[in-house]
Amino acid sequence: MFSAMVKKEFLLVLRDKKALAILFLMPALFILIISVAMRDVFTQKSVSFAVNIINHDKNSISKELVENISKQKSFKIVNKTQAEIILEIPKGYASSKKKLHVEIKEPLKSDEIELFKAKLLKIVASLKLKIITNRLMEFSSEAGSAVASVSLDSSKLFDLSYNKKKDIPNSTQQSVPSWIVFGMFFMITPISTVFINERRQNTLLRLNSMSVSWTYMVISKIIPYLLIAQIQAWVMIWVGMFMVPLFDTPALSLNGSIFAIITLSFALSICATGLAVLIAVSSSSSEQASTIGGILSILLGAIGGVMVPKFIMPHFMQTLANISPMSWGLDGFLEIFLKGGGVISILKEFVYLSLFGVVAMIISVMILNIKMKKGLLGG
Amino acid sequence: MIKVVDVVKKYGDFIALNHLCFKVKKGSIFGLLGVNGAGKSTILSILNGLSDIDSGDIKVDGLDIKTNIKKIKEISSIIPQNLAFYEKLSVKENLDFFAKIQNAKKENYDKAIEINGLKDVLNQSANSLSGGQKRRLNIAIGLLNSPKIIYFDEPTVGIDPKSRNEILESIKSYKDFGITVVYTSHYMNEVAMICDEVAIISHGKLVMQESIDKSTNLEREFLELTKDV
Repeated sequence: MFSAMVKKEFLLVLRDKKALAILFLMPALFILIISVAMRDVFTQKSVSFAVNIINHDKNSISKELVENISKQKSFKIVNKTQAEIILEIPKGYASSKKKLHVEIKEPLKSDEIELFKAKLLKIVASLKLKIITNRLMEFSSEAGSAVASVSLDSSKLFDLSYNKKKDIPNSTQQSVPSWIVFGMFFMITPISTVFINERRQNTLLRLNSMSVSWTYMVISKIIPYLLIAQIQAWVMIWVGMFMVPLFDTPALSLNGSIFAIITLSFALSICATGLAVLIAVSSSSSEQASTIGGILSILLGAIGGVMVPKFIMPHFMQTLANISPMSWGLDGFLEIFLKGGGVISILKEFVYLSLFGVVAMIISVMILNIKMKKGLLGG
Repeated sequence: MIKVVDVVKKYGDFIALNHLCFKVKKGSIFGLLGVNGAGKSTILSILNGLSDIDSGDIKVDGLDIKTNIKKIKEISSIIPQNLAFYEKLSVKENLDFFAKIQNAKKENYDKAIEINGLKDVLNQSANSLSGGQKRRLNIAIGLLNSPKIIYFDEPTVGIDPKSRNEILESIKSYKDFGITVVYTSHYMNEVAMICDEVAIISHGKLVMQESIDKSTNLEREFLELTKDV
């Protein structure tokens, strides 16, 4: 009996072209679009400014300033039309108290402007320090040496330490798990549509009159989606590994255990199908189920760090994120992809997700029983 | 075959069945009439184990419904008014599914196809069938477990006269197999055409039960008995 019910669910989902497109095409497209669009936001490589230098001063000091700026990796010297920033050295700059003139042509974020200012300040300050040192040397080699020993190199001025374990993902490492998790919750639509049609057409009542229990019916709906979730997860990983790099964006690298990915996807599908069935039994129409399911998915995704990565959220939002099952799934995948985690390291997420799904299914069966007793299940 | 005695069923304050009593003879075709909300669907749900009774007694083929519901389900079948099958599956896939659910025998499977004339459309998607063919598939599914009792809940709604006559003729033929039929409908002429006996219920109560003969003016009696509804 059970195998027949599972087969029926498989056939129904495989013949639903729209559902398959929602389950596979949409998250794959999201991975591509978001990974490429957010590439620079997540990139940890040093920032480079396209600078055009106009030197009106022919003094050797001004020439040295231009050389020093050109040597810096942070500054890319370009012609005027390509420049984000135009740096103008006025005539008599080296011999008078005249200031450099900086014009920012392209819209830069305030933190980028601050970074540019810090880098330029370091070069200008180093040059001025050198001039002072040379002058002092003419009077006192001791005083000159003392000033020369002053360094503006940050590594000589302070020690910097940071938590290396708290890795920050690149755009692909963030978007692949995000849209795997979100994509699995797209299951809500096909599951609830089939379930509500069965209810509306009295097929559920017919099955129940054939001694098929609600528990059997609910469990038989999960099995095909467990497999679909696995395929979905691996298709998205494939997109992250092989499609995303075609757009000059970092490829996803599988650092962690493959078994951990399978285990986590399994728990996520139990969670998503449980929620889908709960929405389906609580809704009165497939339109209502789709609306509730869609809104709930977006809310859980927004809270859970799918739309906006958790690590850039304020602290209280990061705490709030923990109420979303999508956050549990996302944390689990990031643990695997970023830190090379195995099954043990995602055990907490596995338990939370599975429990959520099982509790949702138990509540669904209880609702079905109550509705049937009240005569509310018929079409 | 079916004995309903003093059955009461309430949904909150609403009394769906109010001390309902009737009997259905073995091998007969029994018409159950009543306006919408009279209690027809409620009693069909109860007889099929889909709902409990608050008080009273029901025996089906000598089995008490309170203690033998599983056995009663095995010998009964309900043909819902809606097309209770999967439109995205083929006719054969639907029949296979419902047959496996009930461990139906091969001979019953073949008989259900034959009686309902579905042999030529077995590989066709259920969605592509005509209205009449869909109704016949709905009925065929109900025959798979070779039931002793079949409950028809308005099986001819929304189909053309030709298909309706075919369905009514096939229901009449169930008598030859000793099957008891409980038939609900709003069409008095259908009930008069195929039923041996008819009961009219109103406000959850039996207001009439009698055999049907040529002199019975069912429509007039129905309107008379349900004029206050």
